[in-house]
Amino acid sequence: MKTTSGPWMATRASERALGRIGLYAALALAMFFAFFPIYWMLVTSLRPNSEVFAFPPSLLPQTLTLEHYANFIKNPQLLVYLGNSVLVATTTALVSLIISVYAAYSFSKFRYTGRRALMFLVLSAQMFPQALLLISLYLMFSELKMLDTYAVLVLSFTTFTLPLCIWMLKGYFDHIPTDLIEAAKIDGAGQMQIIHRILVPIVRPALVATGIFAFMRGWNDFIYALTLVGKSKQTLPPGLVLTYIGEFQSQWADMMAASLLVSLPLVIAFILFQRQIVSGLTAGAVKG
Amino acid sequence: MNAQQLTRPLIAAGLLMGTIACGGQAAAPPPAAATKAPAPPAAAAPAEFTFTGWAINEGASKEVVTGYMKAYGASKNAVIKEQPFPFGEELNQLVLQASGGSAQGAAQLDIAWLATMAATGKLKDLSAYAKDRGYTQAGLLSGQVKGVQYGLPWTTGSIGMAANKQLLDAAGVTSMPKTVAEFETALLKIKKSNPDVIPYAGMTAAAQLKDILFWIWTFGGTVIDNKGNVTLGDAGSVAALEWYKSLLDRGLMNKEMDRFTARQLFSQGKVAFYDDAIVMKGIVTKDSPVKNLGDLIVPVARPVLKEGDKPQALLWGHIVVVFEGKNADAAAQWAQFLTSDLATTTNYFEKLALPPTTDAALKADLVKKDSFTSDWSSKITATANANPFALYAASARMESILTERVNAYLVGSVPTAKAALDKAAADITPLLK
Repeated sequence: MKTTSGPWMATRASERALGRIGLYAALALAMFFAFFPIYWMLVTSLRPNSEVFAFPPSLLPQTLTLEHYANFIKNPQLLVYLGNSVLVATTTALVSLIISVYAAYSFSKFRYTGRRALMFLVLSAQMFPQALLLISLYLMFSELKMLDTYAVLVLSFTTFTLPLCIWMLKGYFDHIPTDLIEAAKIDGAGQMQIIHRILVPIVRPALVATGIFAFMRGWNDFIYALTLVGKSKQTLPPGLVLTYIGEFQSQWADMMAASLLVSLPLVIAFILFQRQIVSGLTAGAVKG
Repeated sequence: MNAQQLTRPLIAAGLLMGTIACGGQAAAPPPAAATKAPAPPAAAAPAEFTFTGWAINEGASKEVVTGYMKAYGASKNAVIKEQPFPFGEELNQLVLQASGGSAQGAAQLDIAWLATMAATGKLKDLSAYAKDRGYTQAGLLSGQVKGVQYGLPWTTGSIGMAANKQLLDAAGVTSMPKTVAEFETALLKIKKSNPDVIPYAGMTAAAQLKDILFWIWTFGGTVIDNKGNVTLGDAGSVAALEWYKSLLDRGLMNKEMDRFTARQLFSQGKVAFYDDAIVMKGIVTKDSPVKNLGDLIVPVARPVLKEGDKPQALLWGHIVVVFEGKNADAAAQWAQFLTSDLATTTNYFEKLALPPTTDAALKADLVKKDSFTSDWSSKITATANANPFALYAASARMESILTERVNAYLVGSVPTAKAALDKAAADITPLLK
């Protein structure tokens, strides 16, 4: 037994070691792709301008400076863009959540004529190129005299967030036993009470995940925020490009510092709600 | 070339700009009251209109231009609202606004965008505002489409070649190359002298391959002939593209080179020759680790195929257009003031080194004494040609077709220059109508 198990055990151990090395190598590679751009943003934001385009480039800055972060804070227009982003993205998330909760509940728990067609109609909004929709939305909002308002941004962003929000929440509602709703009805609860007092607390992780998704859509959009509103109501993505990239300028270090700063709210939100986000995103994925 | 194309090359631009270098008496600044500008509206309520452009939000020009807006608004009872767009986005945004009927006021345009904007049918004819303001003929032509003056010229210059004299001296290149053969020899000397230096930072990134135009002209190609036929794929254009790729293959140029990168590398003393607009000096000297870089930059007349040929460059500049609609006259008066008021245009040159477009401003001491501008104007702008696609409404698409096909050849996905350019010609031809 000893003579046969020894080599077998050794082979098994070396296979495990090799597997582990392969796993770590794959993880290292994945981490490199995930984190190197962030690292490069960080070191670029900490270099003086004269070093940013040094050739050949160096992985570590020769001189450290916080001037690019100070430039962001000292620029009042960037703070206006930041405020607009917070307002528009938060409102988009709230509006998307409110509408999608009712729509998802309806699609999940009721059976009526045209339900499936309506569901796919909602989804079809995701299938049009957004740049194409921009032209028709612009003309429509122009006719309605709604251009250059916060409402026009919220409405546009909500158009694109609703389909996914509704389908994400529907997946979550599908997992809630109908018996629970029936029991509430027997206890005398109306539909609104069922939604607000029973279902919403249950689907809170999904609401967080969906809300973050809608928030990100409003936070990251460039072309709609550039086209539909003027400078005073523009959000950060067009604001940063307007401020740092032009015909004769490319202030990459300032841009990197600003990009890192403005990504902080999303990073903090992810850290605070990561458990809900993960459970919310995965809950609808597997049919129970 | 048709009549307009013959005039648009704007050889006169350089000749007029060349007067800067030729000396002579500076014209006395005309008093503002003596100008023949249409009178501002005599309404009690201020005229409100928008000024669109990238200059009102970009780097050094922001403070300067918004300062003009405020001062003009206060003195003329006007409220000028800012509408900035990033340079790369403005054309699309303005076309969309014009289509939606919301475009109004005045707007800064690159001269290459004018035909596209004119095709929207929303631009005001500014002929009355262009009269008696002393605009150069070259400048006026840059604002015309089919003989109609849609734009008032704000700055007229060119995209040409600049060199770092110190790197050339170090490589033993004692005189500026005049022919393509001499240019190649100079590049080889530079590469041999210092392998860390890029001999020629010609554009090789897809987005900026329109620079191939001036090499096509250099090799005898015409791009679009006088009958309005696309001639890409002719002997001149094929020879130019094959030669351009040979520079890349021999390591005399770098892959994926764009204007921003070329500027930065030139700024660090790592590039011997590259192509840029006349404003390049101020950009590359800012934050440069080479202390005296400003003294080392030399404008270079593009090398020609054989002695006696005309050095080629691409006309470049900005104009101001006005949209038809409410307060269009007030916006046109602002456009006229911005582009032709002597104090304003010379101040604009002083702050941003952008050449003015009126004879009076070009003769002003401040402009005449700027040796770099004079040198650039006489060596480069003097023989600059307009972008041949700029006459057509689909100019942006035409240009991108050319750059895509040229890039395909440079990266090796199309086997021959002839095949790449024939395909470009076939795709561009339907867009001429």
